[in-house]
Amino acid sequence: MEPIMGVVSRSVGNAFRNKIRTSAVVVILAVAIALALSMLVANQGVGSKVDSLKASVGNSLTINPAGSRGGLGGGQPLTTADLTKAAAVTHVDSATGTLAVRLGNSAATSNSQTGGSTAASGNAAPTGAGGRFGTSGTTSLVSAVAPGQLGQRNNSNGNSTGGSGSSSSGSTAARPAFSIPIQATGVSTSTTATGTALNLTSGKALSDFAPTSTQSLVGTTLATKNNLKVGSTYTVQDRTMTVTGIFDSGTVFDNNAVYLPLAATQTLTGQDGQLSSISVMVDSIDNVAATQTALTSTLGATNVDVTSGSANLQSAITSLGTVANISLIAYIASLIAAGLIVLLIMIMVVRERRREIGVLKAIGASSGTIGAQFTVEALVLVVMGSVVGAVIAAFASNPIANALVSGNTSSSTAAAGRGPGAGGGGFGGGGGGGGFERARGAFAGAGQLIGTISTSVGWQTLAFGVLGILLIAVLGALIPALLTAKVRPIEVLRGE
Amino acid sequence: MLTVTDVVKTFKSGDQTIKPVNGVTFSLEQGTFAAVLGKSGSGKSTLLSLLGALDKATSGDVVVDGVNISTLPDRKLTAYRRDDIGFVFQAYHLIPNLSARENVMLPMEFAGVPHKERAARAAELLTQVGLGAEMHSRKANKLSGGMQQRVAIARALANNPKLILADEPTGNLDDETGELIIDLLRKLAHENKTTILVVTHDHALATRTDRRFRLARGQLTEDGVQAA
Ligand SMILES: Nc1ncnc2c1ncn2[C@@H]1O[C@H](COP(=O)(O)OP(=O)(O)O)[C@@H](O)[C@H]1O
Ligand SMILES: [Mg+2]
Repeated sequence: MEPIMGVVSRSVGNAFRNKIRTSAVVVILAVAIALALSMLVANQGVGSKVDSLKASVGNSLTINPAGSRGGLGGGQPLTTADLTKAAAVTHVDSATGTLAVRLGNSAATSNSQTGGSTAASGNAAPTGAGGRFGTSGTTSLVSAVAPGQLGQRNNSNGNSTGGSGSSSSGSTAARPAFSIPIQATGVSTSTTATGTALNLTSGKALSDFAPTSTQSLVGTTLATKNNLKVGSTYTVQDRTMTVTGIFDSGTVFDNNAVYLPLAATQTLTGQDGQLSSISVMVDSIDNVAATQTALTSTLGATNVDVTSGSANLQSAITSLGTVANISLIAYIASLIAAGLIVLLIMIMVVRERRREIGVLKAIGASSGTIGAQFTVEALVLVVMGSVVGAVIAAFASNPIANALVSGNTSSSTAAAGRGPGAGGGGFGGGGGGGGFERARGAFAGAGQLIGTISTSVGWQTLAFGVLGILLIAVLGALIPALLTAKVRPIEVLRGE
Repeated sequence: MLTVTDVVKTFKSGDQTIKPVNGVTFSLEQGTFAAVLGKSGSGKSTLLSLLGALDKATSGDVVVDGVNISTLPDRKLTAYRRDDIGFVFQAYHLIPNLSARENVMLPMEFAGVPHKERAARAAELLTQVGLGAEMHSRKANKLSGGMQQRVAIARALANNPKLILADEPTGNLDDETGELIIDLLRKLAHENKTTILVVTHDHALATRTDRRFRLARGQLTEDGVQAA
């Protein structure tokens, strides 16, 4: 301990011998270290984001009739035979079919049909095709979502999709009473169409899946709107349904829906053996891509579309991967830069103090002692640079990480946003298929999927940061320290 | 006891070889105050560096108290410089950002002396060489030349060496201060029983030493020996 203290105090003193140079070095070092730490933080943030994106989709695939997505578009419905075939494909753990239908309010159905055709002016062809197909049945329930809240999406205004000239703003005002159909999904387990478990706020999950079942789950907003509690009844077509449970899926829109037993839904709407989508669980995330291909060829590419969670996910993960690579390279590069700064400065210091090193050796210092002294001196610079750098990084890492991400995903975000946006007019009428969830997924670009990168500093980040800085220290301190060993004591007499 | 036998040092610069030390033989009893005189470039510093193990002789033996330093490995040479030799240089060569006391403490730190002990001994030595207590904590580069050389002498004494080698210790000082330094060295040689070898080209100073040598053309001769 004793000799170490002497070396350390001398090294600290030496580090401040040239205060201006030391300050300059610390500032430059701090910037390099701050950059390195920010890149590391960005890298880790992106890494965990990719993990969570992957986890959010998990290993599920969704099969829809070809040409339909999220209830938009047409195609032949899927059948129970397709479900059997899908379940038999390798790596498929389970396959469950759902039938999503829209139920019009028994009182307002005729009005809404009128409203729709009135608004759909001549040039709104894409809207008509993708948007409003008819309801499959009626219910006594009243939608909790007022059409006004959805605005132009319900084709109340031709401008929104047609884009040619202004038709008339008056049409909005003149819009007749209109009720949004209610999304009903026939399920064979208590899960959503994409296979995620429902969050029940009260009551029980569905248990009777017979064609004659009267069980149902009602979303919170819809239940509130219609004064329904567990045990309350309402009608679907001519059957009186009982509220078995009330669920909350997190959004007002998704809570304006009911879940019915699949067989009952098929019977009530006269679609026996038909499915609107099949949800497939793959045994492992690694097999998702292969299984997607296998399912497509088994069921026929012309008949079905097999999609994984979100169409934008892959592009999101790819662009995040680019960010991860860039940030990793930048992290390493900044560390090397920081190391070189220390190295060059210390080489300069060693050259400058050649004579003094000779003096120390002449009065009995060992090469080890002198090497240690210069190592500690370099470490003092590294520590000061790291502290200042960490402070800078604390303020800069978040903006840097997000700037990196947005810079690398803006193109895919724009593309994703524009594509589906063209058909966006039909949204309000959509939902006949697999549910709003996926329809909205198509609207959300990769950028939205990514959101903001949260840059919390975990132990891994700290460990890598410390490791990197140690690398700087090794590079920047050890080499000059080794150079001091080469200085011979006779240097002291040079030039006398 | 210092015994030097037939020491040769050869430098090669280009295709030319010079031998500033070419077969030097002499010996000094413990506690002798001796001077080596010679013109500039005659090889005085070179001889001193061989005695102090700053450099290795091309051939010949340097024996200090029975130990031949010409054959010692590097690690032992470090210990030799630390424990058995004290150096005093023309340009003092104190560590400028350390105080007078800290400079004197350095060789003791390298020898592993505890902090308290070396601080006390440093103060004692500084007082012995005539540096007032108020100067002990002053930075070395804030001291006058004479004071710096006193600190350097105290530093050379720190580990109680057998031999002090001083290379033109008065070269940068005015005559009066130089005389004081020489008096100090002579006093130390006699009081501490330390062998002190001073290199100088100042004949006046050399007259105050016990023995005087002359280095010329690589050969060392003692003044007055032929006459005797
Ligand atoms: N490392 C060296 N390489 C080559 N020549 C040297 C070296 N050191 C000293 N010399 C030469 O040896 C001679 C003696 O030098 P030095 O011992 O410094 O003389 P002095 O101290 O008596 O003035 C000079 O000619 C000098 O140029
Ligand atoms: Mg000389």
